Amino acid sequence: MTTASARRARGRLFYAAVLTPTLLALAVLAALVLDVLGDSVSWQVVEPAGSGSSFSVAEGFRFTGTWERVVRLELAARGESAEEVDALLANSEERRIFAARNRVELMWAVDGQPLRWVVTSSRDKLISDHALVAGARERKALLAELRPGQHLYLNQWLDGSIFGRNTSRSPLVAGLAPALLGSLWVMALVILIAVPLGAAAAIYLEEYSQDTWAARAIEVNLRNLAGVPSIVYGILGLAVFVRFMRLGPVVLAAALTLALLVVPVVVIAAREAIRAVPDSMRQAAYGLGATKSQVAFRVVLPAALSSIVTGVILAVARAVGETAPLLLIGAAAFVPGLPSSPMSQYTVLPVQIYSWVGENNPEFAHVASAGIVVLLCVLALLYGVAFWLRRKFERRW
Amino acid sequence: MRERLVAVALGAAAWVTVLTTIAVVAVLARETFAFFTDPLVSVVEFFTGDRWTPLFLDKHFGISPLLAGTFLVTAIAMLVGVPLGIASAIYLSEYATPPVRRRVKGVLELLAGIPTVVLGYFALLFVTPWLQTFIPGLKLFNALSAGLVMGFMILPIISSLASDAMISVPNSLREAGYGLGASKLDVVIKIVLPAAFSGIVAAVILAFARAVGETMIVTLAAGQRPILTLDPRETIATMTSFIVQAATGDQPAGSLAARSLYAVASVLFVITLLLNLVSQALVRRFRERYE
Repeated sequence: MTTASARRARGRLFYAAVLTPTLLALAVLAALVLDVLGDSVSWQVVEPAGSGSSFSVAEGFRFTGTWERVVRLELAARGESAEEVDALLANSEERRIFAARNRVELMWAVDGQPLRWVVTSSRDKLISDHALVAGARERKALLAELRPGQHLYLNQWLDGSIFGRNTSRSPLVAGLAPALLGSLWVMALVILIAVPLGAAAAIYLEEYSQDTWAARAIEVNLRNLAGVPSIVYGILGLAVFVRFMRLGPVVLAAALTLALLVVPVVVIAAREAIRAVPDSMRQAAYGLGATKSQVAFRVVLPAALSSIVTGVILAVARAVGETAPLLLIGAAAFVPGLPSSPMSQYTVLPVQIYSWVGENNPEFAHVASAGIVVLLCVLALLYGVAFWLRRKFERRW
Repeated sequence: MRERLVAVALGAAAWVTVLTTIAVVAVLARETFAFFTDPLVSVVEFFTGDRWTPLFLDKHFGISPLLAGTFLVTAIAMLVGVPLGIASAIYLSEYATPPVRRRVKGVLELLAGIPTVVLGYFALLFVTPWLQTFIPGLKLFNALSAGLVMGFMILPIISSLASDAMISVPNSLREAGYGLGASKLDVVIKIVLPAAFSGIVAAVILAFARAVGETMIVTLAAGQRPILTLDPRETIATMTSFIVQAATGDQPAGSLAARSLYAVASVLFVITLLLNLVSQALVRRFRERYE
């Protein structure tokens, strides 16, 4: 016979043992987010190709035209006359080239001073790159070792300009514009394709089909499809959309492939929502003389809509984060321009991140982490909307 | 007439999902058949050979290094994910109050919703450098860190499905246990876990299937070197990472190297399909018993 206290002690031990893993999972999630955020900032010892000057926040900031103001300061510091600077800024082509090779950054720290404007260039020579925490610890030593012409920057890789810039071979000026726009294109098309398809299939399965072998086959098939690895969908997309239908590596092929990937998820969510609509509502409608399709589209679908939308958003979030199938169907690491139609070549955020992580230059890890922060924000936004919808329209029948 | 049209249109949408499966099977079967009819390839070597070098000049097609790599990473993931996932499921279903359960489940869903390319980044640039500080001989690309991170990827799946199974164990069983003087610990271990066993196993198998088919974590963090080893510190290749490697390289379409990708994908598809079927059968059995 064990004593009561021993029994209680064992009970407490067991409680701790089952609580710890949950906390551990939360800790890993926190570590991941902190790691990504931390990696998007780094200490860098740089030999600037430009003037090497930096300007205070007040000097550079203008409510409109901060970029132009800082560029003027920089070019003046390089010794160019006011007329030369005016000429450069007035010429749109030269201005575009300057913007593609240089970046106006509000550095968190320059040498010893906090928050300074710097114009960095893709031709700046990187001497060394240090992680946020490690660099902060060695800051004094790094400052003491600076040679003439070298500067210590606390560089924040994720700033507003990253959204406007194209991809580049140089990490300093590599931007997210094509990936972000590509992801939005793919997302929009996936919604256009997968939602009607998934909702229609769900209505059919719940409202129309009898319990026949065909209905059971569709049912079993759906559950299996939901378990097929995403990379296999990539192979399907490659064979059917890219090669057989001759679409090539374009936005539409990616959207079709990802739509097939998420349709099972949409169907399963939509069916649950439809099943939750009480039969009394259907019967009331039939009693008023409604036909089957009127009941389905005017009674059941509106009643289930908010739950369906929640399921759809979660499915879309999955599609936005998918990498593997798109690698197979030819999302490129470098695309010639921004996607402008369903038949454009494209890249998407996760593929862009993948190709940056694979780069040898360690600076690309920072660009990748900036990309990840953006991707996670997009997903957080989607989850937030889904959560809000669930709260707002939650109904108990 | 209009009614019939609507019904047919809706039915067609449902059949698209079946068509997807048929297309997957057809594509895989066609290319795999073409692969095996090539004079350089033998079915026996494919299943028994221990060298996988389709991208080299001296080509060998023995899939076992890829299988070994896949199961090494998956085994590490299961070692982490299964105990932690089940423990967390016990916490959620037996200890947490419903509001706490809802919140914790929500956060775990967030962990499950992290794109795998992000998890791969985390494994390569955070977990591996950290492990290297105390594990000598750990390669830059290694099975261990990929497996560990993958374990946390499958934890929410196991936790969520297994806690659903435990929650649906009828309370009368628990109360009968308490009535006989059992402690909470006894009730959980001797009543709830056995009663929910098939549901828990189904969750574990589903997570296993997910781990086998997971691509980005292993591609980024475990490397692309197909060698037959069970040393978790080594650089390896899995079935999925080989598919990415072969598809993103410049193998001309229709070449033997490109076709080998389809043969590997077929094996992957069959394995995950079987696992899913077993998992579903278990869930069905579990449902029949209690619902």
